[in-house]
Amino acid sequence: MKIQQAKCPKCELTLCMESYDELLYCPTCRAIHTYNPPTIDQISYEIAGFPEDSPKENRIYVPFWRILSEFHITSGDVDGGFFSKMGKELEDGGRNGSIYIYMPASQIDKDAFRYWTVNLTINNPSYEIMKDFDEVKRIPTIISQEDAIELTDFVVMILEAENPGILQHLEYSLTVNEAKMIYLPFITGSSGLHLVV
Amino acid sequence: MKNQLAVSLNCPSCGGDIFSSESGVIVNCRYCGSTLCIENDGGFNTAAFKNKLDKDSALEIVQNWWKKGLKARDLKSVATITESYPIHLPFWHIETRTAGWICGYEEFQATDSEGNNHIEKIYREEMIFDGTHFSEMACDPSDLGIQSLQNFNGELYFEDIGQIPSLDLIVDEYEAIEHAKTDAISRSRASTNISKITFEKLHSLIHKKSMIYYPIWIVRYTYQNYAYFVTIDGITGQVLSGRAPRDPLYQSLAVTLGTSAGGLTSAGGIISSISYQSEVGIAGVILGLIILGITYLFFQHRSEVIKGDFKERLSLSVSEIDPDDASEEVIV
Repeated sequence: MKIQQAKCPKCELTLCMESYDELLYCPTCRAIHTYNPPTIDQISYEIAGFPEDSPKENRIYVPFWRILSEFHITSGDVDGGFFSKMGKELEDGGRNGSIYIYMPASQIDKDAFRYWTVNLTINNPSYEIMKDFDEVKRIPTIISQEDAIELTDFVVMILEAENPGILQHLEYSLTVNEAKMIYLPFITGSSGLHLVV
Repeated sequence: MKNQLAVSLNCPSCGGDIFSSESGVIVNCRYCGSTLCIENDGGFNTAAFKNKLDKDSALEIVQNWWKKGLKARDLKSVATITESYPIHLPFWHIETRTAGWICGYEEFQATDSEGNNHIEKIYREEMIFDGTHFSEMACDPSDLGIQSLQNFNGELYFEDIGQIPSLDLIVDEYEAIEHAKTDAISRSRASTNISKITFEKLHSLIHKKSMIYYPIWIVRYTYQNYAYFVTIDGITGQVLSGRAPRDPLYQSLAVTLGTSAGGLTSAGGIISSISYQSEVGIAGVILGLIILGITYLFFQHRSEVIKGDFKERLSLSVSEIDPDDASEEVIV
């Protein structure tokens, strides 16, 4: 077993983090890496900017995986539901489509995971992309990119189950074209986290 | 198993103490802030619990164990300790994350306003999003009377694990992962309480995996030319398994009382059933047989008190633990 200091593969500088995080951020070259022993791989990401009118205090970045996926429903026994609702926007009467799925990547409970998945996938956030975190803290990522891709169809099922209807059977195929880390700006308050974009 | 298994390490940058999950691959030094990567040849971390017992403490525990129960009362004065040594039992510790959906329905009988009974269905959709911990022995210590470990709290370390005495691995990484996934999915399924499942899609992701070595003491002793042994948890000091001679007095009393009670009850039952053709007589016969059965169970291991989960075998070889003493067997 070897223990060694993590170094940014791009700029060779030693990396420091305050707490455990699946993703290693290099503030010098602004690259984010994931450690898959024994290699360190760079991943693509975006940092969403805080709106100018948002509070300056209690800012925090929360990590989400944004997954571009294509799906095709082969058969289903679904009365109502997400796919039916999106039918007008999708091909073939709502049985084929391509969507951006947002998946929380931090430690989060089941209900919050479901809430943010549904809300951000149905209403994709729009934001200005920033170059760095501007010294705003970020919540550690615990769901790896690999796991996020594997969980994509689970998230699709969340979307389907969220809308009124009875799901008893669903067969579909799903293809993930991209999984990108998106840091979304939140304000922490007494009632929890509030998205500001 | 709790998630707080932590391994003490030294930061290669500043030398400060750092603590890590035993299965983590990234660690932060609280002193210099360095991010540290842990790399293992096998693709998983290996750690060992520190043995908290020394030899004297282990022997004292054995002597205290001898005093309890129906063991021979002269064990302390007659028995001879022949060997005592610590070994480590390897087990897998795997953290999984299970996510998915289970859909189905419950059926129940309902009565309408006109008094007609009919079956109603309540449809359910259950979302699963759970983290679970799975542990499994990676060796076969059943010859030692140990099938599983209950304690997972203790101080872990990384150094010199290759040097510690242990048992051969019989469950490899891939088998353990499959078992962990199966366990996680079956737990999730059970947690929904849906009796009729019509759709199920579950993902079980391996979050962390590691191999932990757990210390136990093996103490072997002889009593009246027969060999016995005791295993002790190297952290908690509890006796995990062991064999000891039963006390002759207790044995004689059990034989006398058991056979007398069984014989009398059976005889009474037979007489009663012949004379009165009553069901009480048949019950008496059955009760007598039960008493005889209990007496048999008491002596099925001849004259031993046994603690632990032993496989059913006529003889128990402990040679694999100590190759230098391959001929020694514990007679049961």
